[in-house]
Amino acid sequence: MSNILEDNHLKAKYVIIGNSAAGLSCAEGIRSGDKKAKIMILTNEKFDNYSKPLISYFLAGKIDLKNIFFKDHDFYKKHSLTLLKDFNVKKINFRNKEILSWDDKKVIYEKLCIAAGGVPIIPQVELAFLSEKEEPGNNSNDSHIKHGRSGIKSRIISEIDIKNIDGIFTFTTMDDSLKIKKYVTANKIKESVILGGGLIGLKSAESLLSLGIRINIIEMSGRLLPSSFDKTASEIYEKAFRDKKSSVSVNKTIKRVYIKNNKVVAVETGDGKVIYTDMLVIAAGVKPNIDFIDEETEERKNLVFLRGIKTDKYMRTEVRDVFAAGDIVENKNVLKNSIENIAIWPLAVRQGMAAGQNMAGFFKEYSGGFPMNSVEIFDIPGVAIGITNPDNFDKKHLEIITDYNRDLNVYKKIVIFENKIIGVLLIGNIERAGIFSGLITNKVNVGKIKDLLLKDDFGVIQLPAEYKKHLVTGDAVAL
Amino acid sequence: MALKLNQSEFEIHRDEQKCISCQVCVRQCSNDVHEYDEDNESIISDNIKCVGCQRCETLCPTGAIRIKQRESEFKYNYNWSPGHLKNIYKQAETGGVILTGMGSDKPYTIYWDHILFNASQVTNPSIDPLREPMEIKTFIGRKPDKIDLYKSSGKNMKNPVFLTNLGPQLEAEIPVLFSAMSYGSISLNAVKSISRAAYEFGTFYNTGEGGLHKDLKKYSESTIVQVASGRFGVDKDYLNSGAAIEIKIGQGAKPGIGGHLPGEKVNYEVSTTRMIPEGADAISPAPHHDIYSIEDLAQLISALKEATEYKKPVGVKVSAVHNIAPIASGIVRAGADFISIDGFRGGTGAAPQVIRDNVGIPIELALASVDIRLREEGIRHNISLLVAGSIRSSSDVIKAIALGADAVYIGTAALLALGCHLCQKCYTSKCNWGIATQDPYLTKRLNPEIGARRLYNLLTAWAHEIKEMLGGAGINAIESLRGNREHLRGIGLSEKELSILGIKHAGEAW
Amino acid sequence: MQGRLGKVKKIFIREEFCIACRLCEIYCQVEHSKSKKILKAFKEEKDLISRVLVEEVGFNSFAIQCRHCSEALCVEACISGAMIKNKNTGIVICDENKCVGCWMCIMACPYGVIKRNISEKKVASKCDLCGDEEYPVCVKNCPNEALQLRDI
Ligand SMILES: Cc1cc2nc3c(=O)[nH]c(=O)nc-3n(C[C@H](O)[C@H](O)[C@H](O)COP(=O)(O)OP(=O)(O)OC[C@H]3O[C@@H](n4cnc5c(N)ncnc54)[C@H](O)[C@@H]3O)c2cc1C
Ligand code: SF4
Ligand code: SF4
Repeated sequence: MSNILEDNHLKAKYVIIGNSAAGLSCAEGIRSGDKKAKIMILTNEKFDNYSKPLISYFLAGKIDLKNIFFKDHDFYKKHSLTLLKDFNVKKINFRNKEILSWDDKKVIYEKLCIAAGGVPIIPQVELAFLSEKEEPGNNSNDSHIKHGRSGIKSRIISEIDIKNIDGIFTFTTMDDSLKIKKYVTANKIKESVILGGGLIGLKSAESLLSLGIRINIIEMSGRLLPSSFDKTASEIYEKAFRDKKSSVSVNKTIKRVYIKNNKVVAVETGDGKVIYTDMLVIAAGVKPNIDFIDEETEERKNLVFLRGIKTDKYMRTEVRDVFAAGDIVENKNVLKNSIENIAIWPLAVRQGMAAGQNMAGFFKEYSGGFPMNSVEIFDIPGVAIGITNPDNFDKKHLEIITDYNRDLNVYKKIVIFENKIIGVLLIGNIERAGIFSGLITNKVNVGKIKDLLLKDDFGVIQLPAEYKKHLVTGDAVAL
Repeated sequence: MALKLNQSEFEIHRDEQKCISCQVCVRQCSNDVHEYDEDNESIISDNIKCVGCQRCETLCPTGAIRIKQRESEFKYNYNWSPGHLKNIYKQAETGGVILTGMGSDKPYTIYWDHILFNASQVTNPSIDPLREPMEIKTFIGRKPDKIDLYKSSGKNMKNPVFLTNLGPQLEAEIPVLFSAMSYGSISLNAVKSISRAAYEFGTFYNTGEGGLHKDLKKYSESTIVQVASGRFGVDKDYLNSGAAIEIKIGQGAKPGIGGHLPGEKVNYEVSTTRMIPEGADAISPAPHHDIYSIEDLAQLISALKEATEYKKPVGVKVSAVHNIAPIASGIVRAGADFISIDGFRGGTGAAPQVIRDNVGIPIELALASVDIRLREEGIRHNISLLVAGSIRSSSDVIKAIALGADAVYIGTAALLALGCHLCQKCYTSKCNWGIATQDPYLTKRLNPEIGARRLYNLLTAWAHEIKEMLGGAGINAIESLRGNREHLRGIGLSEKELSILGIKHAGEAW
Repeated sequence: MQGRLGKVKKIFIREEFCIACRLCEIYCQVEHSKSKKILKAFKEEKDLISRVLVEEVGFNSFAIQCRHCSEALCVEACISGAMIKNKNTGIVICDENKCVGCWMCIMACPYGVIKRNISEKKVASKCDLCGDEEYPVCVKNCPNEALQLRDI
């Protein structure tokens, strides 16, 4: 790969913003059709590439820097890709097909794929700056004050604060992971508060725990992983946290963070409880990273539907020659028939591939997707596929079957709508989970095999004849 | 429940050092001999249920199992052999006829093993079959009394025209055919293996009395369709879908008695093939109820020939009984094109043990006496002679041909090639090798692709050996060996036996 | 499996001939054990994992292992880059050094043929078509040719 910074007017037939799952898959997609034309990849980071989901494994010390790359070093050479590191996109001028960076570099594209991923959501938390003598919690009954009783300075937290104040972190990039690692070793951290019990919250919790740090998760909703887990699933993990002398507080928020000497000292929950801590990880979720698309422009209105960039089945956006893929995108959720942002790795890869192939002139369809995720915390594996909490479905055609073995910590839940599986939750035993993904994707009618789905030996052999035949004798083609 | 007196026939030796508790044996035994004990994580075997089929031994990946014949079961008594004791105990328990499968295992004289074949030395050269042509092709069917050729004069002298109207003939690449084993007594996969091997090699198989399964129609040019006393599956279409027809009068293992396929083996496939209701017992009467004389037989033969427009040879299968020579003569005169004689050691899917072991005569003697009798009557050429009833090797084939057979039928040998281990429990329908069973869990074990390949290999090997022996004797066509008793010598046989066989004793020159 | 005969090869499942003896599973465990010796592996090693799976209901059974899909969903789902499809040979392989045991692949594979191996480091365990062997051991040791290696 080359990092050509001297030339500040760069040009390429294909430009990809984002050097991660979607971006690199897009590059492969383009190369499957166009072996020659120049492909330029822009990233605001300084790494060749790394896998975001691996930053928690890195933090925990389970993998080293060498293995955090998900594409090996000659990937760029093999596909002749030009990688521009430290290229922080400030704005895109769609009319001139120009991309501008904060340090005034310019790249001109013919076709663009925006694969800039997501950024952490920063909730509206108050920062209270204590003086040397002040203690947290005295002013808990008053949340509106700008200058408190004792003259405490406070303001709503911003991204800059997270950068500048010691002990407050987000956890979505390699940089975050490196910073946390440095901080916990330097300060011999023993305890940390995590704001948010979603995927990133859990992943950071697990890493910190494996470094010997006790965890205090504060989750706003009534359970962990609220979008995928239900109460039972959540409780299995909550108990595991308790067993590790950590705690999970559900239905709680953090309303204030106390800072002393530019360092976190405590947080205060919505109900006024003060928790002393040297460290706070903000894991309140991610949102599409659309800040560099100028709010004022016509294009912004066309590109963004709800929160992300809307794409069609060819991963095209509303703007000519501009494609998008990955966590930044809004596309079809096939289970809900709605347009939404599903920020998961497999879809980022699939969308990137489709975008790339379409940029190179094929008509490769991306037919939509559904959320799915896998976690393994405290050696309890858990998988959530599709819609596991079906709140907006007609109850008449909805069936939920569950099986919970308390002794073994094994919980299974299958959500069936109109005889088709739309969601699966497996905790403790995830063997053969993918069969369910297949059933969901292929909308297989499971009306006749409902009572087999929860069985321990459930497998391909019990599937409806046609679909089974496809799996067993099929030419191993993707479904 | 009263005490059972019978002891186990086999001993299962499991080398615990080698057993890895993989449970292949547990899964493979249809007699539930082996059982996995979760608590000890080990396998326990129950000797008494073992039938000695050696499936587990064969499949055990570490060779940990040995099935051994259990010795000294009963106190020694020359007169009251263990066989007698066991049968009496069993009959005292059940009150039933003792059933068995496969051919008789009793130690009667096996004449093949008392006959030696000849070879050339000095005065006549032997032939190397790898260098020189060697013909073992065999035609089965009635041969004419004489051959008329029209010889034109002049230039065309060289190409005489064949004037004789030769009846229908089967053309086999090897004088070995697969004998009648019906679908029902053996599995469809077994029949598929056999029929496919016959087709690919260029020889014939026999449907037995079970009708012709639709999947086998593609091999019809290699099929001999059988018409037995039950007339299962017989209609015009059936008769015409074979290359030849065989009327079954008797079977070597159970001369004089009929057959009985219990209703539980008559599943959908068997029932449609046999053209009987599903689940109904398939009973083959002891006699054909329309055959009480040679004349009746002649009538059936001509009816079958009519139905197939004289395009197919029609033969008759009989068991080797004391009067076989005159019976054979009658069959020739009734118009049959071939006669199949089944010796008393012939196999069976199920027969009363008392009949199997005590009725009939050895095929070697039957063959010799029939051949001699037909020659004496001057009608030997009017018929092809097929023999069956424990042809075990290529040397048995060669000896049979020198004793006068046109070709042999193999049954047991074919099943052995398919994996049969001669446990003789065919009648239980629990055949662990997937052969003599209709249980889909077991029939799967016989992959007809493998089965056909193994049978094909067996025929190939025998063909090589036959050619090798012919060459050694200075013969280059099997035709020249047929009935050529000078190539045979008896060993350890009495004058009487030699005279019935029509051969000299070893040591006697020409 | 290119390199053997210069062709991409694939294991075909022939349900009608599988006799549920599970020898394929046994030999797979041995092939992927440390010693690769059947007695040693079973007697001395722990947590042997078969990458081929025999499924059985009544007399129906078949052995199923990774289908080495042309568009492999496990590869797409893998967050570590451990799961890759070799474009020349068509084989999908999990590089166990890179694998972090996140089980995304298990969740994605519609055949359910990837297993958790948690005996040492957590890694996804799946069929590798037995690397350099001329025939995968399941194919080689199936007594009834219910698994067949064919060119595609
Ligand atoms: C801690 C963590 C754990 C996760 N675990 C899982 C998991 O187990 N399973 C799962 O399915 N998903 C997981 N995810 C989500 C997964 O990482 C994302 O779905 C995936 O990374 C999305 O890929 P992407 O290419 O769309 O965007 P990203 O991976 O977010 O990459 C965005 C790229 O754009 C570049 N970029 C962004 N802004 C700019 C700019 N202004 N200028 C230039 N370049 C820019 C970045 O440098 C980066 O290269 C996890 C995420 C995190 C953070
Ligand atoms: S070895 Fe063959 S027959 Fe046995 S279970 Fe495996 S695939 Fe089936
Ligand atoms: S378990 Fe291993 S191979 Fe599977 S997706 Fe995770 S990292 Fe990749």
